[in-house]
Amino acid sequence: MSVQDHRYHRPAPGVDLQGRLSPFWRWLSETVWRLEHGFERARADARPEEDTRVRIFLILIVFSCVFGALAIGASYKALIAEANGRGSGINPNALVRGDLTDRNGELLATNIIHYGLYIDPAEIWDRDLAYRQIRRALPRISAERLKRVLGGERRLIALTGLTPQEKAAVHDLALGGVTFEPEDRRAYPLGTSAVHLIGDADTGGRGVSGAELAFNDEIRAAGQRGESFPLSIDLRVQGVLENELAAAAIKAQAKGAVGIVTDVQTGEVLGMASWPTFNSSNRNAAPDGATLNRAVSGHYEMGSVFKTFTVAAGLDTGRADMNTLFDASQAFQIGDRKIKDFHAQNRVMTLEEVYLHSSNIGTSQLAVQMGPDTMRDYFRRLGLLDASTIELKESAKPVVPRRWDNSTLASLSFGYGIMITPAQMVQAMGALTNGGRMIPLSLRKGGARGAQPQQVVTEETSRTILDLLRRNVVKGSGGFADAPGLRVGGKTGSANKLVNGRYDPSHALGSFAAVFPVDGPLNGKRYAILIVMDEPGTYPKTGAYVAAPAVKNIADRIAGFLGVERREDRWRTALGEKVPEYQDVAGDGL
Amino acid sequence: MTTAPFFTYSRTALQRLFDWKVRGVRWIEIIGVALVAIMIVSVYAAKAAAARESSRIAQLEQDIRENGQRVRLLRAEVARLEQPARLESLSRQIGMAPVDVHRQAKEAQLTELKPMPVPTAPAHPAVAPAAAPAVADDAAPAPETVR
Repeated sequence: MSVQDHRYHRPAPGVDLQGRLSPFWRWLSETVWRLEHGFERARADARPEEDTRVRIFLILIVFSCVFGALAIGASYKALIAEANGRGSGINPNALVRGDLTDRNGELLATNIIHYGLYIDPAEIWDRDLAYRQIRRALPRISAERLKRVLGGERRLIALTGLTPQEKAAVHDLALGGVTFEPEDRRAYPLGTSAVHLIGDADTGGRGVSGAELAFNDEIRAAGQRGESFPLSIDLRVQGVLENELAAAAIKAQAKGAVGIVTDVQTGEVLGMASWPTFNSSNRNAAPDGATLNRAVSGHYEMGSVFKTFTVAAGLDTGRADMNTLFDASQAFQIGDRKIKDFHAQNRVMTLEEVYLHSSNIGTSQLAVQMGPDTMRDYFRRLGLLDASTIELKESAKPVVPRRWDNSTLASLSFGYGIMITPAQMVQAMGALTNGGRMIPLSLRKGGARGAQPQQVVTEETSRTILDLLRRNVVKGSGGFADAPGLRVGGKTGSANKLVNGRYDPSHALGSFAAVFPVDGPLNGKRYAILIVMDEPGTYPKTGAYVAAPAVKNIADRIAGFLGVERREDRWRTALGEKVPEYQDVAGDGL
Repeated sequence: MTTAPFFTYSRTALQRLFDWKVRGVRWIEIIGVALVAIMIVSVYAAKAAAARESSRIAQLEQDIRENGQRVRLLRAEVARLEQPARLESLSRQIGMAPVDVHRQAKEAQLTELKPMPVPTAPAHPAVAPAAAPAVADDAAPAPETVR
């Protein structure tokens, strides 16, 4: 048909760029070439009909394959593949952040749709009327902002975060040009309750403080699953703690106050309160220092509650037992420094008496005898030298002494020279009263995940400390904490604060660290309560007067929630009266 | 060359099939067109049903979402009303306070506080209702003795 060289029509990139062509392209172009000219070749061979059939047959096969594959794919999609297509794939209850609840499912924080108020002034007929009406329906809107939006040209946002009620109020005005756009916001319905430990989240759905920050990823993951995230808090306990703490703080005219209730066996925090409080919805109006969570961020020289640790170390090392004698007949001299007793007995005392009379001289002697290495070891074991293990990011490191000389050891033995957070204090008290196991404090329901409890003191020491704590309430300084029938044990703490370089008695700290019930097996149900009053204004300022009564009230009211039954022990009846049969005939205090 | 036997083998059957006509139109084509029409209609029906179902699912999910939001709003309202500080101040206002330990009793102590009424003999049913409360009242100990 044609005499010209067909190779002339070969696809362009073939010949010219020979060097750069891959063998595949060469093969492809040659195949196309052969197919294109097969018809002519067949005619040349005088078998044109055969060539046509081959072509039809080939095309038939190709199309059959394609349609077959499509049919199989469509059938698979329709019948076998999981139905996660449009609409049904996403959990309809999914949220940016899951609800935060207490251990019993009571709501602490939730996401609620709020509304942004948008105004398009071009669509408003009477701007003055609209201004007056909106101001009346929504008193919290800024007058200046509203005026600016109404006087402008474009549609602008006038206010964010309208609650559904506020939205309804504005909507009912039936104004043109006023529209609402939904926005997902975190709401804290409890107001001032647990405000420090819950913390808050920003409008972008990220936690910025408290548990919202500490468990941010898990709360978000729970939200995606449409679940809520439970904390270890028991809202009933938290409520009692807050109310009693506030009442005690107001009565004592304190500058600040802290209350913590924990389960010593699991390390779970059941209640944590810092006073004064503030309303999370109006953080800017919070009183000075109210936003600080004193329970984990406040540093205090705790005073005599530390004697529990010194005595525990003494007992655990075998350096002392309950009958070891300490000469407290005169002040203990270390270099130029004289250590005296607040309630001076001026006599030789046993270790038990040292503890019950809160003798600085006795514990100083014990600490100096044990030496810096032992003291540091026990303080480290009890977590007094590191930040509390609670998950809150606000958990602060303690202020620890640099030198551990005899004078420092003496100070440490009765709670001076080291500033710790109340959370550390309650964590250490837990370790001493649960059989000697150091269990990390946790805000997670069920306790810290994967925690490996470490034995920090022997079970025997723990048992002795429990006994001492109870004796201190029955016979020592903690009498005001004795809730009837609940076998409360505890230690008072009273310290003066360092003001302008010297310890000032008018700036005091009163505390009480308690556990209840002290009897029962070492791994039995037991709860710790710590109350700290910062700078009480009334006299006396000691822990026995400002903190112990609050402990009594709290234990009294939460025992029912925690399932602790009232029962008599060897000193008190179930109703709190002295056991009449008990006579201290031997005079040995037992 | 290699395809020749295949064509000869199936020629007669295929030929017959394609030669089967009515009014000059091949039956095979009529059947094919009918099948395609049925398929189009059924696919359309299935798609329409699926679209209806999926919009219903979307509608239900929207309802669930809205109800969930309403539930969350109500739960938040409940939590707000049950704020511990609020409840405490309300109950203090109406003169309520934690119950004194001396006024608390367990279930097992109920009989101690007030003995069970002594069942009178069934032989004198007429006397029993009058006598029983009197016995119980007399036997009830004063609160002090319970302590």
